[in-house]
Amino acid sequence: MDARVIDRAGPVSVSDVPVIERDAPVIERDTARRETRVVRQGVPRIDAIPKVSGEAEYTLDRKMPGMLIGKILRSPHAHARITSIDTSAARALKGVRAVITADDVPDNLFSFYQWLADKNILCMKKVRYVGDEVAAVAAVDEDTAEEALSLIKVEYEPLPAVFTIDEALRPDAPLVHDDKESNATWSVQRLFGDPDAAFAACDYVVEGTYVTHQVAHCCPEVSNCIARWDKKDRLTIWTNAQAPHTQRQEVARVLGIPQRNVRIINSYMGGGFGARLVMDMKLPIAAVLSRITGRPARIVNTRSEEFSTAKARYPYSLHLKTGATKDGRILARDLKLIGDAGAYHDKGPATVNFSSMMFGTLYDVPNVRFDGQLVYTNKEMGTAFRGFGNPQVTFATESQLDELAAKMGMDPLELRLRNANRPGVTTSVGAEVCGCAMTECMLAAAEGIEWERKRSEKRPLRGVGLANMVHTGGGGRFYGYNSAEAFIKLSDEGTVTLITSALDMGQGAHTAMAQIVAEELGVRLSDINVLSNDTDLTPYDLGSWGSRASFMNGNAVLAAARDAKRALVEAAAEMLEADADDIVIEDSRVWVQGSEEGHELTEIVDHAVNQHGSPISGTGRFVDKLPEGYTIPTAFAKNIPCFAFGTQAAEVEIDEETGQVTVLKVVAAHETGTTINQTMAEGQIEGAVAQGIGFALMEELVYDNGRVVNDRFLDYKIPNIGDMPEIRAICVESVGTDGPFGAKGIGEPGLVPTAPAIANAIYDAIGVRFHELPITRERVLEALREWRAET
Amino acid sequence: MKREMHITVNGDEYHLLVDTQRTLLEVIRDQIGLTGTKNGCGAGECGACTVLVDGRPVNSCLMLALEADGQEVLTIEGLARGDVLHPIQRAFVESGAIQCGFCTPGMVLSTKALLDRNPDPTREEILQSLRGNLCRCTGYVKIIDAVNAAKGMLAEVGSTWTRA
Repeated sequence: MDARVIDRAGPVSVSDVPVIERDAPVIERDTARRETRVVRQGVPRIDAIPKVSGEAEYTLDRKMPGMLIGKILRSPHAHARITSIDTSAARALKGVRAVITADDVPDNLFSFYQWLADKNILCMKKVRYVGDEVAAVAAVDEDTAEEALSLIKVEYEPLPAVFTIDEALRPDAPLVHDDKESNATWSVQRLFGDPDAAFAACDYVVEGTYVTHQVAHCCPEVSNCIARWDKKDRLTIWTNAQAPHTQRQEVARVLGIPQRNVRIINSYMGGGFGARLVMDMKLPIAAVLSRITGRPARIVNTRSEEFSTAKARYPYSLHLKTGATKDGRILARDLKLIGDAGAYHDKGPATVNFSSMMFGTLYDVPNVRFDGQLVYTNKEMGTAFRGFGNPQVTFATESQLDELAAKMGMDPLELRLRNANRPGVTTSVGAEVCGCAMTECMLAAAEGIEWERKRSEKRPLRGVGLANMVHTGGGGRFYGYNSAEAFIKLSDEGTVTLITSALDMGQGAHTAMAQIVAEELGVRLSDINVLSNDTDLTPYDLGSWGSRASFMNGNAVLAAARDAKRALVEAAAEMLEADADDIVIEDSRVWVQGSEEGHELTEIVDHAVNQHGSPISGTGRFVDKLPEGYTIPTAFAKNIPCFAFGTQAAEVEIDEETGQVTVLKVVAAHETGTTINQTMAEGQIEGAVAQGIGFALMEELVYDNGRVVNDRFLDYKIPNIGDMPEIRAICVESVGTDGPFGAKGIGEPGLVPTAPAIANAIYDAIGVRFHELPITRERVLEALREWRAET
Repeated sequence: MKREMHITVNGDEYHLLVDTQRTLLEVIRDQIGLTGTKNGCGAGECGACTVLVDGRPVNSCLMLALEADGQEVLTIEGLARGDVLHPIQRAFVESGAIQCGFCTPGMVLSTKALLDRNPDPTREEILQSLRGNLCRCTGYVKIIDAVNAAKGMLAEVGSTWTRA
């Protein structure tokens, strides 16, 4: 890295930048509970007013002089060979500025992991799902662009397609990718202990198959971008990205251009949930359209395109076995999992791999086997989605734990309490469980739902169930490193600019970062501006995913605030002729300990700048140090810098006539370490529970011959305000985490255990165990009919 | 084909030449340039584009612009009085009812339509009125809190809160 940081003492090399390392945390654990003024307060978001007044500009709201409208011609076939493309009529249409096919774009293959690259910018010989990009146009307006699309003539030779894991794995199955030996494309195995011997020693063993389905992120703002390839050969892309720096690399890679020529600019984002993590092909497509036309080119998904091409959650088929002793100690677990990738890899391998880590870590089980496989099908591909393979696995593991409890005649809560992870323990699979409030979460959720009373009452058609979860609370070390950097500068009017790479897609990262600065630096929250939207401006960063921002970016921001504070205190001490140790800064006011006379912070900064030419700034970096002997393939649970546990308890009521499952109440107790913002943390949990309810009961992408048929909100139901039960979000604080002020990430955990908690409650209500999601009315009715026939 | 129309948006009068096929949403966003009104689905299914036309909440993506000829439209930009937020806006800010913010303008205007005609709605009435406004971030808990808070605030300021 050739960046240099200008310090008050003059230029210094980056090696002098204050670095927080995990083995030497600057945050003392005993200070994690110190009195705070801004952190741990449920203050309103710093971006709430722009958003509530209509001022906030999203990428969709941007306009640019000369901007063309781009549209993508997508495959109508699930699997077909392209025999010819005729673009002449489209090119001849008035107002059309460019028409491109595979011949006009670099033929590089792309995937999130480049060594698994499998997707061209525009399809060359074959299309692999309904929606695959075949050609694109740029025109002066939307109507012309649409008309141009309709004039492109593509001839296809349809091929037999595979739509399910079973179909894809048949020996004679057609290949989604001709250059592969089979549709089984990637796998990972993990083994700890001796599961076979352990199962033999268990008093109880349960085994079963669980199936989860494909659901869509449904970001309120569709995927969209504007690309401008300028005369200096620089490509600027305005888009909604959760990881602009890695997307910048991805765009450069697939276009075969130097990364330094690519700049990505974010705006306010209308949701992310993982969908905005890996580059969408519309970015390089818009880039090529702009290069050819010399004008900015915009491409915006329709809502139908968003449902059918913006990628989705990976459907899993899971075969799981769990064994325990008669006193309830889980001795062995064995999971064989097959993930349906859809037509391309994207985040599939990473998702299956992460599933293995969460599977191995939820409880400290000494004997664990995991066999994960990824399979291509001719469907919309998957990608990262809040929980990242964990909700699927947790549906299986936490459903099966209730089956085990039933078999043993033990209370499911009791079984879980006996197996709870404890703080400070390194588990059998190598997970370093730092702060851990698993037991506290279980007790809080159980109390909130009135577990004992409701489990014993046994009201007809009513039931309660619970489920545990673990997730990362600080991203991961999957890249072989995990770090973040931040810069702070103070203007001579005392306002603070924070430059951080923490992206705010709605979860509130900017506010959390600003709270950390306000707390540490002693400035008013309203004096802080956060800049995070431009890869030319912000430090390189892996992005906002994996519940990572609060922990990783938060620590870097804290270090930067400390650095700036040191400079501020020095300047104040000099100006006020006092000892630096006696300087107090709070709420943007400065005084000397014991003195009555206070000063506005602006006076100090103004003095430093205008009397000494010494502006005040700070730089901070957080390096999440890799454990001894770390290697990417073997690290497994050591990839996770901090674990966040949680428990949800649900109460449901079943309508015998319609099969309708009504969730009456969800109590969601999640570990936050230190809650930076109570209101926002609750908001994360409540929103995630809503998505979890959708996942459990309502949502599913439905296909007909490879085409998504419910590609609109009318047909693909997400929870509306009337569908929501009472949700009680409980933030359980714990000590022992190296996050800023002891905080952990809370972005994803909330939807991980919702589905199994509901499934377990349904079992409690009607004695029927559902092994497949979503638990629709039809499935409930059918199960009730079977159950009645048997009894 | 284009036709002339007159429309009042947030108190400002516009005299426009409008393509007969354009929706009210397109005219508000593209011709008038007020982008606070969001396009979430273009099919009247998400409520992000909700505006008030002569006080009634409508999905502006479903209404042809010319249908609003001669009428008064209120968009999110017209709700605050200068720097002073409308009590409903303040309630959304203070209750933590905003996350990504994309559904917020529509949600706030649907709330306004509700509270204008029913200053003291029950929980059921709130749910009924906001069913057409989808939110993917909040789980709606704090949105319900915000509507209740706004109800209280409006009861305090009464009818004195009108736009400047």
